[in-house]
Amino acid sequence: MILEGPTYTDLHAVVDEVWSAFLGPEDPLLPALPDTGLGDGVTWSAATSVTGAWNGVVTVEIPDVVAQTATERMLGLAPGEDLSTEDVADAVGELVNMIGGNVKSLMPGPSALSLPLVARGTIASPSDLTEVSCLDLTWAGSPLRVSVLARRDVPARATDKQESA
Amino acid sequence: MHALIIDDSRAMRSILRRIVTDLGYDTTEAEHGQAALDHMEGGLVPDLCLIDWNMPVMDGYQFVQRVRDDPRWRDVTLMMVTTESEHGQIVRALAAGAHEYVIKPFTPDAIVDKLELLGLLVAEVPA
Repeated sequence: MILEGPTYTDLHAVVDEVWSAFLGPEDPLLPALPDTGLGDGVTWSAATSVTGAWNGVVTVEIPDVVAQTATERMLGLAPGEDLSTEDVADAVGELVNMIGGNVKSLMPGPSALSLPLVARGTIASPSDLTEVSCLDLTWAGSPLRVSVLARRDVPARATDKQESA
Repeated sequence: MHALIIDDSRAMRSILRRIVTDLGYDTTEAEHGQAALDHMEGGLVPDLCLIDWNMPVMDGYQFVQRVRDDPRWRDVTLMMVTTESEHGQIVRALAAGAHEYVIKPFTPDAIVDKLELLGLLVAEVPA
């Protein structure tokens, strides 16, 4: 089975547009060096689901320093100002909302976008999802990852087939 | 001029507030459509509503329908500001009574351009 997802180029364009519009063009997104990963520190994860003609999940994983900086810039605060956990979760959620909404527009429609789910740490992926696109990038010297996972079609159960026959 | 900014994200409300206050607007914020309606039922009649689509409690589409169904608010300009970019969704929102539609992510210039089209620029655009 081939699962459909956005191309690397399209996903990169979406993420780049979101980042430059709301976090400023002065720090470009760059490809990550191989095997850099997200490090061992605190990370933030956010996910939004698309359901309809295309079914999948878009996730963003960023280290705490990126989440804090993104929040400061989106709220128009000076670097180092105190941020609440709720403010950081809100900003990270809005980033995945914008990326997810634009990924949705690249895929067959109509479909609906869920409200974002945000966690300090990692969000586990359901087992019926398969990664179809992944960007490992750096921003202002810190890593970030954006992934698109597509949901495999669930085959109808034998009893369902009998009932509908 | 008064703008009512309706978005469940505080960060997005902050971004929009900075754009329109630079243009001379006073602002009120609401985190979903019902909260915005509560402000309006309380007497606020904004010149402009900036409306996200996907919100808890009452989404932006429902809010547009409710405002357009009430003659008290027939002069309020409604602008969707949302990640919903499917053609069908845009058509639905405009058919329900939204005047303009901005897709996130946007630049401040995109908002300014739309307000200029609507005749709602009240101050010189800051350099």
